[in-house]
Amino acid sequence: MADHNAQLLVIGAGPGGYTAAFRAADLGMDVVLVERWDTLGGVCLNVGCIPSKALLHAAKVIDDAQAMADHGVTFGEPKIDALKLRAWKNDVIGKLTGGLGQLAKQRKVRVIHGVAKFTSVNTAVLDSGESIQFEQCIIAAGSEPAMLPNLPDDPRIVDSTGALELDPLPKKMLVVGGGIIGLEMACVYSALGTDVSVVELTDSLMPGTDKDLLRPFLKVIKPRYEAILTSTKVTGMRATVPGIEVSFEGDNAPSIGVYDRVLIAVGRRPNGDKIDADKAGVTVDGRGVIAVDKQMRTNVPHIFAIGDLVPGPMLAHKATHEARVAAEVAAGEKSAFDARSIPSVAYTDPEIAWVGLTETEAKEQGIDYEKSQIPWAASGRALSLGRAEGFTKLLWDKQTERVIGGAIVGPSAGDLISEVALAVEMGADAADIGMTIHPHPTLSETVAFAAEAFEGTITDLYMPKKKPK
Amino acid sequence: MAKTIDITVPDLGEFENVEVIELLVSAGDVVEREDGLITLETDKAAMDVPSPENGKVESLTVAVGDTVSTGDVIGTMSIQVDDTVVIAPAIAHEPTGDTTVLASPAVEGVAAKSGGVQTLIVPDLGDFEDVEVIEVHIANGDEIDVDDPLVTLETDKAAMDVPAVVGGRIESVLIRVGDSVSAGASLAIIEARASEAPPVDASQATEKTLVMSEAQISEVIASPEQSVQQSGGIQALTVPDLGDFDDVEVIEVHVNVGDEIDIDDPLITLETDKAAMDVPAEFGGKIESMDVSVGDTVSAGASIGSIDARASVAPAAGAPAATETTQAIKTPVSAAPAAPSAPVEQTPRSLPPINESGFSKAHASPSVRKLARELGVNLPEVKGSGAKGRILHDDVKAFVKAILTGKAAARAGAALPKTPVVDFGKFGDVEEQALTRIQKISGPRLQASWINLPHVTQHDEADITELEARRQELKGPAKERGVPLTPLAFVLKACVKALQEFPKMNSSLSEDGKSLVLKKYCHLGFAADTEQGLMVPVIRDADQMTVYELATALAELSGKARDGKLKANELQGASFTVSSLGGIGGTAFTPIVNAPEVAILGVSRSSMQPVWNGSEFEPRLMLPYSLSYDHRVIDGAAAVRFTTYLAQVLADVDGLLEGTG
Repeated sequence: MADHNAQLLVIGAGPGGYTAAFRAADLGMDVVLVERWDTLGGVCLNVGCIPSKALLHAAKVIDDAQAMADHGVTFGEPKIDALKLRAWKNDVIGKLTGGLGQLAKQRKVRVIHGVAKFTSVNTAVLDSGESIQFEQCIIAAGSEPAMLPNLPDDPRIVDSTGALELDPLPKKMLVVGGGIIGLEMACVYSALGTDVSVVELTDSLMPGTDKDLLRPFLKVIKPRYEAILTSTKVTGMRATVPGIEVSFEGDNAPSIGVYDRVLIAVGRRPNGDKIDADKAGVTVDGRGVIAVDKQMRTNVPHIFAIGDLVPGPMLAHKATHEARVAAEVAAGEKSAFDARSIPSVAYTDPEIAWVGLTETEAKEQGIDYEKSQIPWAASGRALSLGRAEGFTKLLWDKQTERVIGGAIVGPSAGDLISEVALAVEMGADAADIGMTIHPHPTLSETVAFAAEAFEGTITDLYMPKKKPK
Repeated sequence: MAKTIDITVPDLGEFENVEVIELLVSAGDVVEREDGLITLETDKAAMDVPSPENGKVESLTVAVGDTVSTGDVIGTMSIQVDDTVVIAPAIAHEPTGDTTVLASPAVEGVAAKSGGVQTLIVPDLGDFEDVEVIEVHIANGDEIDVDDPLVTLETDKAAMDVPAVVGGRIESVLIRVGDSVSAGASLAIIEARASEAPPVDASQATEKTLVMSEAQISEVIASPEQSVQQSGGIQALTVPDLGDFDDVEVIEVHVNVGDEIDIDDPLITLETDKAAMDVPAEFGGKIESMDVSVGDTVSAGASIGSIDARASVAPAAGAPAATETTQAIKTPVSAAPAAPSAPVEQTPRSLPPINESGFSKAHASPSVRKLARELGVNLPEVKGSGAKGRILHDDVKAFVKAILTGKAAARAGAALPKTPVVDFGKFGDVEEQALTRIQKISGPRLQASWINLPHVTQHDEADITELEARRQELKGPAKERGVPLTPLAFVLKACVKALQEFPKMNSSLSEDGKSLVLKKYCHLGFAADTEQGLMVPVIRDADQMTVYELATALAELSGKARDGKLKANELQGASFTVSSLGGIGGTAFTPIVNAPEVAILGVSRSSMQPVWNGSEFEPRLMLPYSLSYDHRVIDGAAAVRFTTYLAQVLADVDGLLEGTG
């Protein structure tokens, strides 16, 4: 007899897993949620989105205070108490994860701590030896930081989890990998006083992102960072007493550099192959990815998979939406993952956010689009924030005049992009956006301006070439 | 064994206190799962409450005019639960006391068409849904072989037999004459003979032994659909029975290793001296290996390759059924972590298939898309009533309501003046005879074409003196080869040539009427007169065929039409139709276009006519024909050019015989 029986077993309590478990419980299912860590919330809450945002907020306060010196308000040099900063960050985590525990209790979701692996299509076993029998299952086991091979075993080489510990604050840090995670941590450390270098294998930071989005960002970080080495390969690392000695290969790269902290942020690897999925008959590909249909079913119809270990971007907000679909389908509802766009945000300073079609994709796919772009220099609010470097860009379908994608660079871009996401999902056209009254003066006005620019009705800029409507 | 369950009102979404407007069944009726029991009407739409199971209605506790809400009990029904040991989702059972050890082939039934209890289902019916069962050929206890007919279905186009995919003993027949079924519907439970199982991948055929007490056996209940899928797994693809032919040449291979295919997709094309034929896939899935290539010769049973078959999905079980099952298997059970077993699948509650690419472009908000998915509404077909054509919730509901009440088709005609109703009995004796089923269905279609298409008919004639002389010469030798070389075969060949010259004749108007869909294929329909009524079998890729091949195809399809043996795919996809009445008589007629095609050629009886050759009248054999066309697409001048060209082609018998050596 199994130690636990469940109508629905959810493996992993990250944003995907807990959302799935809670939604299924709300739909009347008897749910067991298995989590390997002591707290719920997964990478996102414990060592990802949330703690990094707490540190990024601290970084932004420091940077903003310094920037005000030019405008007549001068503060003293900031004193960084890394211990206290870390404690505050951990306090934020604690509040959220504790809240999740409460939410689970209220819903009578049975949380079991342990590492679950399948033993058959309807059974799993925990590392404690306890067995769980389930009727249906949602795999939400997430991903973990990818590491480079052959690294020296040295505490000064960390992954994103280690970097969030700020222990101790390094003088010189190298970020290996110019993706969003690496650049966010670079932002934090730079503001806290560390000399930051970034090394990226491809020719551009945030590979795949429209290049124009990076320009305002590079303008901000270039003078602040020690080096931004694109098209550069890390060929070796050696632990020495003064620091980690890193050798590079690249046109403009030094042959060697010494750093007292190296952050490896070269991507994340799905955990699909860590759960003995084969014993349940679930197909996992060589990269740990589990294929699913629009209802998040794996090849085994009563086993679902969501989040980082299914195809698509590894983002918490994608996982939570997939989670709802999986839970609803498991409960017998006719749901399907139907989103037309998933927004992406780099919470760097300035923030970079995009949703829907990017220009890069449009060009690759040969899609005939029109672009309208508003420089934030035209926004009174941006100027009064002292941040005129950003812009808002919208892409349009020429025939229907509907917005099919958009990108925003600048402070709070991640919050502003939601309006564009809603517009894409609703199939809003330029008039819909332009004729919606946006409050003045806000950064959100730039979205309306971009719509007016497409329509040729903008008055806050002079764009003579636009055809009259 | 039988048990009684409550029938409840399913989730009505936002609606409450919905009125019962019709009772579709009464106590004692035997119903099939998903059959409508009662009809509810909200202010938005009428909807049927489907039966949760196959079984007998014991009681109905509501009456017309009552109001009901989600979850209300509206009656009870008794269902037959299968005593055969069928395994609910991989529950292993705790051995207690006296135990019976059952090596259960049923478990493996999910993995392959191996022995064991399986459900025979309705195969892919092409475009047809809710097809009527007009005959049931099996009864409980019958021993049947592979390909024996199970039931006969009748669509609006033809009757067709559903053959058994495995041989064995029929455990229970799940349908009756008069039921209407769709692809995937369960027809019968069969205890399959294991010997007939095609090769199964060893990994799928894991031996599994069940240990369970007799008491538990009766408690383990699974509705049939939970046990029945032909699951995924590697399946062999073999050449089917080729009739009299052996060592037939492979002239085309349509799939490659790694291709994802659907059931009935063509795998290879074989060519005998009579005809080319496609070998369709018996399973959908991913091609794992291919053993044949172009030029190989194969015979029945030869291996074509193998496929990683997708689990075929049994029709969705309603939530009530699922709950029922769950409760039935709540008996504590041991987890006994056994060796990995073949995946036992629960009933997938799949969504209705939807045109994803069109769906993703439809002008509809996320909530409307959600509703559309739930109702299986293909958004591209819905006309939006919101600003700029936005599809609203009400549009989706109205679309469903229109379909449910059949108003979608009728709306256009509703405003037409009616023909007078006359009591003929006042004028003499009358007898009323029911229309045949095919007439009942073809009638509205003909009317729809007549009402919607502005028809024009162009009459013309061709000199077929030489054609007929040559046909008489070739007819005898052709007959020895088994080919009935009819005049119609030459007319079809001529039509192919004319369609190639005038591609607009081989087109359809898009649904919105804004563009023309030109077809790169040439599938010719021909009207066949049968006892059941008018049918239009389709000769696929007629442009690839010689006159002899067309003649063979004509004979085969006409024969099948007469015998009611046409398959759904032999009645679909025509791009142009020919209706020949010349065998009977007539000088001209005005055929009705087989919409959405844009033209139809009517052929009348040829006759010897005096034709002025410039100096004298000469006796020539003239063939009169009539081209009816959709004037929205075809101009009058284009139609005359077409018929004139057709006359030229028919006069050039060598041209029509090209490719025949």
